[in-house]
Amino acid sequence: MIYTVRHVTQYDYATPVDLGTHMLHLQPRTLSWQRVLRTGLLCDPAPAAMRHATDCFGNAVSWLFLDTAHPRLVVTLEATVEVQSPASLTAAAPTPGWETVSRAAAEGGQAAYEAAEFLFDSPMAPALAAAGEYARASFPAGRPVLEALTDLNTRIGRDFAFRSGATTVHTTVAQVLAQRAGVCQDFSHVMIAGLRSLGLPARYVSGYIQTRPPPGQPRQRGCDQSHAWVACWLGAEHGWMHVDPTNGVLVRDEHVVLGWGRDFSDVSPLCGVILGGGKHSLKVSVDLEPERPDTGS
Amino acid sequence: MTAKGADELLDASGRLRAPWRRVLGSLLGLGVATLRDRGAELERACAEEGAALLGGSGPAAWRCDPIPFVLSETEFASLAIGLAQRAELLEAVLADLYGPRSLLSNGHLRPALVYPNSAYVRAVRTTAPERRTPPRHLHLYAADLMRGADGQWCVVADHTGAPAGLAYALENRRIMARVLPELFRSMEIRQLRPFLDVWQDSLQRLAPQPAGNPGLALLTPGHADAAWFEHVILARALGCSLVEDDDLTLRGGALWLKTLRGLRPVHVLLRRQRGDALDLLETPSSRSCGTPGLLTAWRDGALQVLNGPGADFAEAPALAAFLPQLARVLTGRELVLPTAPVLWLGDPGHYAAFAADPAAWRILSAGDRTPPAARDATQKALLLAVAERPWAYAAEGLRVPSCAPCIGAGETLEPRPVTLRLFLVWDGTAWRPLPGGLAQVLGPGEAAGNTRRAGLTKDVWVMLEEGLDIHGPPGLPLPQLPVRRVAGDLPSRVADNFYWLGRYLERLENTARLVRLVLAKLSRDTLLPRDLPDMAALIACLADAGVVSEELASGAGPGQLADLLARALAGEAGAVARLSGRVRDLADTLRDRLSGEMHATLAHELRRLKGARVLLRPGQRAVGIGLMHEFAGEVLQFCATVSGYAAENMVRGGGWLFLDLGRRVERAQAVAGQVAHALDQRPERLEAGLILALDLCDSALTYRARYLAAIQALPVIDLIVADEGNPRGLGFQLATARHTLSSLASEDDAVIIATLDAALDETRLLMGELADAPLHPSTAALVAHLRSIGAQVGQVSGAVMRRYFALLPVTFTDGLFR
Repeated sequence: MIYTVRHVTQYDYATPVDLGTHMLHLQPRTLSWQRVLRTGLLCDPAPAAMRHATDCFGNAVSWLFLDTAHPRLVVTLEATVEVQSPASLTAAAPTPGWETVSRAAAEGGQAAYEAAEFLFDSPMAPALAAAGEYARASFPAGRPVLEALTDLNTRIGRDFAFRSGATTVHTTVAQVLAQRAGVCQDFSHVMIAGLRSLGLPARYVSGYIQTRPPPGQPRQRGCDQSHAWVACWLGAEHGWMHVDPTNGVLVRDEHVVLGWGRDFSDVSPLCGVILGGGKHSLKVSVDLEPERPDTGS
Repeated sequence: MTAKGADELLDASGRLRAPWRRVLGSLLGLGVATLRDRGAELERACAEEGAALLGGSGPAAWRCDPIPFVLSETEFASLAIGLAQRAELLEAVLADLYGPRSLLSNGHLRPALVYPNSAYVRAVRTTAPERRTPPRHLHLYAADLMRGADGQWCVVADHTGAPAGLAYALENRRIMARVLPELFRSMEIRQLRPFLDVWQDSLQRLAPQPAGNPGLALLTPGHADAAWFEHVILARALGCSLVEDDDLTLRGGALWLKTLRGLRPVHVLLRRQRGDALDLLETPSSRSCGTPGLLTAWRDGALQVLNGPGADFAEAPALAAFLPQLARVLTGRELVLPTAPVLWLGDPGHYAAFAADPAAWRILSAGDRTPPAARDATQKALLLAVAERPWAYAAEGLRVPSCAPCIGAGETLEPRPVTLRLFLVWDGTAWRPLPGGLAQVLGPGEAAGNTRRAGLTKDVWVMLEEGLDIHGPPGLPLPQLPVRRVAGDLPSRVADNFYWLGRYLERLENTARLVRLVLAKLSRDTLLPRDLPDMAALIACLADAGVVSEELASGAGPGQLADLLARALAGEAGAVARLSGRVRDLADTLRDRLSGEMHATLAHELRRLKGARVLLRPGQRAVGIGLMHEFAGEVLQFCATVSGYAAENMVRGGGWLFLDLGRRVERAQAVAGQVAHALDQRPERLEAGLILALDLCDSALTYRARYLAAIQALPVIDLIVADEGNPRGLGFQLATARHTLSSLASEDDAVIIATLDAALDETRLLMGELADAPLHPSTAALVAHLRSIGAQVGQVSGAVMRRYFALLPVTFTDGLFR
C-alpha cells in the first residue's frame, strides 16, 4: 500500500512566544517493509536554526530553534510511504517457549544485546508487578512466545475500553490498569510493562493507522490520529513482532511507522520548551490517505 | 568486626616511615597543647569559611585536623600512575558503551549492568551528521583509596561525573598554611597551585575555538545543593562564571550566558549538575531542569561539556567489579592498582560468592554508592530485594582502612581510620595528578568510599624527598594565551535577585512605618470623628502595601484593627514574616555575591528579628499596643542596619546598583500612592491631609525645621514631592533611579530613562500648577498627578525587568492531541 501522510500540529499562544525549542520525532522510518518515497517537514514561522540527528534507536530526530516572537507555530509533516506487512509470521507459526526468549534476552551477547535495551524500566513503562500479573495469564509455562503474545494482544483489545479523554499524557500504567480505559498510548504502555516484567523485550512504536469510514460513507479528511502500538522480541531467529493491542490485531500494511523507543517519552512526535506565551491551545490534524491502487502492484 | 587496620606511621617492618618521621618531629616539637590550640583555630576557620557559604553544622560540617596525611613522593607517584591507567580504562569503557557497544555484543558485560542505570545517558549515543570525532568523556577524575591490612593501596570508589572534594582540599591547604606557618617553612611540601594552572590551561585549550578568550562557566544546581560551597570556591579558583540553568540560553546553535550587558558566549561548561539533567528535552527522566537544546551544541562541537554528560556511568560499583577483566580486554594490560573486592550480584558467579557468606559483604546499589533505599532498611528485607532483582545490587567486601594519627581529646594522638581521595585532570595528552588531596577521617561505623561531603578531613602532603627528582609528564608547549579576565558580567538572575532584595527590604520598612503611624493613633484613648478620614487613608495605604485586607480593616473598630496589625506584625502568615522570609531567601541565594561579613550580619539580624517576633505571640493573648510599637521599631532598626551596611560596604558595582534601584522604585511607588491617599480628602481637610502626608514621608521634623509651624500646601508638597535632596521624598527616588539607570546605560535603556524623565516632568508640572494657586490648590488634580506618577514608576519597573532580567516562565509542551 502507498499512503500519503499529512500531520499538522498547530500551537496558538495567548501572548507571543519569544523563544521556542522543539524536538521532533516526526519523520517516517525506512524499514525492510516500509519505503519512504518522499518526506518533508514544514515549519511556520521559519526557525532560526534546525538540527538533525539519528537517535540511539535509529530514529530520525530534528530540533527547531525559534528566536523571534511568534503568536503561532505550525509544524507540518508531509510524506509518501509504501508499506508491506512487516511480519512473515502468521499467528500460528511455531516459535520457542517464552522462557527461552526471556533467558536469551537476559544473557545478552551478539544475538540479544540490542533487544535487551528494551527489557528494563523506562520512565513511562516500568516493569510493574500488577501489569506482570495481568500479562501472566497469557503466559503459562512453556507456551510458544508468539501464541502467548497474540493472546495477550487480544485480551487487552477486549478488556480495555477505548475512551478518548480518559487519560492524559501523564497517566501512569497503574492508573490505566485500574480504570481499564484509555487510548492507544496507554494500552501500549500496559502491554510493554507486562512483557518486561516477564523478561521479554518490548518496544513502543509510534506512527499512524488507516481508519476506515463507516460502510457507505466517504473518507473524511483530517480525522485520523497519531497511533501507537507494541513490538515484542521473539528471539534471535524471529526478531521483532509488531502487534496492535488497541485493535487486538497483528500489524500488517495499514500501519505506518514513524519510530520507536522504550516508551512514548523517547519518541514524542513533537515536544518543546517555550519562553513566554502564556496559555496555549493545540490543534492536531492527521490525514493518512491511501493512494488508489492503480499501479497494479 | 575486630580486625585492626594497618598503621600509616609504620612500614612493613614496623619502622616509622621516613616522611612521617620529619613531619611528626616538627609537629610534636610544638607540643600537643599547642597543636590542640591550632586545631581549635583550624576549626574556627573552617566554620567561618564554611558557614559563610554553607551554613552547615553538626558532624557533617567540614573540619580540618591539624595533623596532615603524609605521603612520600615515590608512593604518591606510583598511586598517580595507577590512577591514570584506571582513568584511561574508564574512558575506554565509556567510549565503547556509548559507541560500538562491543563489550555488550561480545558478552563481556551483561545488558543488566548497563541499560537500567540512569547514569547511562542515551542521548549521548545520538549521532549528528556534523560530528567529527566523538568527544572525550573524562576530564577530571577522582578516586577514593584505602590501604588494606596487607599494606597495599586499593581503589574503593571512582568519581567520574562531577568529582567532589577538590575545593575542600584547596581550602584545607590554605588554612593550614595560615594556622601552622612554621611547618610550611621548615619542610618541602609539593604545592597545589601548579595543578590549578594546568587545569585552567587545559580548559582554555579544550575550548572549541582556541583563538580569543573562551567563555568558561561552572554549572551549579544552585545554592540549595549540598555541594554549593565547592562550586563557589572552584568557580573562583578557575576564574569562570558560576551559572545556573536559568542563566543559560541556546541561540544559533551555541550556548550563551544572559548578563546585564547582553549575551556572552559559553564555550566550556564545567557541569556540577547530573549528566542526565543538562537538557530537559533530551533526557525524559528529568524534565524539570536543564537548558533545552544544550546537547545539540555539545554534539556539534560548539560547546565542550566537562565531564561529558554520560560520564557518571563509570562510577557504578557494578562496573568496578569487572575492571580487571575489561583492562585485559580493552588495553591488554593488568591494572597496576587493585580494586577493593566488589561483586555485581547480577552475575551468577558473583551472586554465588555473595550468597555463600552474605555477612562478609556490604550491599550497595549497582549504579552508585548511595546506600539502598529506606524500605530495604532491615537486612532481611534487603536480602529479599536482592533475591528479586539481583542485577540492581552490588556488594563490597568489608575492609578496615589504615589508621593515621589525629588530635584527640586526650594528651596523646589518636589513631583513626582514614581514606584518601586523589584528583587527576586530563591536559589534552596526559593525566596530571593534584600533588595532594583530601583525606577523610572515618567516624565509628562509617564505611570507606561513602558519599558524604566533608566531615573531619586532613590536608594531604606529598613530601619532596632529598636526592630524588621526579618529573611528571612533560608539559605541552602552550600557545600564547590572551589576557584572561575574570568574568565580571553580572548574570541577569543575580541582578534580578538584588533588585528584589532591595524591593522587599523597602517594603518591610514601609510596612513598619505605616503600622507605627496607625498604632500612634490607636494608642490615644478614643478616636475623634476628625481622626476618622486619616484612619481611612492609612488603612488604604496598609491595604496597598498588602499588610491588611481592605475589606476586613475598613469596617473594623480600634480593637479589631489592633488585632489585625498584631497578626500582620507577628503572625506566621503576617506581612513581616512573609517579607523577612523573602529577604532571607534572597540573601541565601546571593550568598556568593555578598561579603561573608555582610551575609553573617544579615543572617544574625534576621534571627534577632524572628526572635523578637516570636515573643509577641499573637492569638494567645491580646498584644499590647506598646509592645507592637516597640517591635515595629525593631523592624525599622533591622532595615536601617542592613541598608547602612550595604551602603558602607558594597562596591558600587552591578549588585549594589540593582539593590538600590529596587529600593528607589519601591519607595517611589509607595510615596506617590500614600501621599495621594492622604490628600484625597475634602478641601476643608487639606491641612490635616498635608500633616498626614508629612508623617507618611517621615518629613515632619524637616518641615518644622524649615518652616516652623505653619502648614501650607506649596512648601509641604515641595518637600515631599519635588525636593530631590529629601531622601524620603518622591523627587529623590526618581532622580536617584535615573542616575543609576544612566550609569548602566546602553541605547536600549533610553526608553526606560525617558519614562523616568516623564515622571520627573510631571512632578514639575504639578509644582507649577500648585504655584498658580498656592493657598487653594485643587486636591483632585494633585491626587491625579501623583497616581499618574505612580503608574509611570510601575512602567519603569516592568521595563527594567524585561530589559535586564527577562526571566519568563518556561513551559513544556507535548504536541499530542488527546
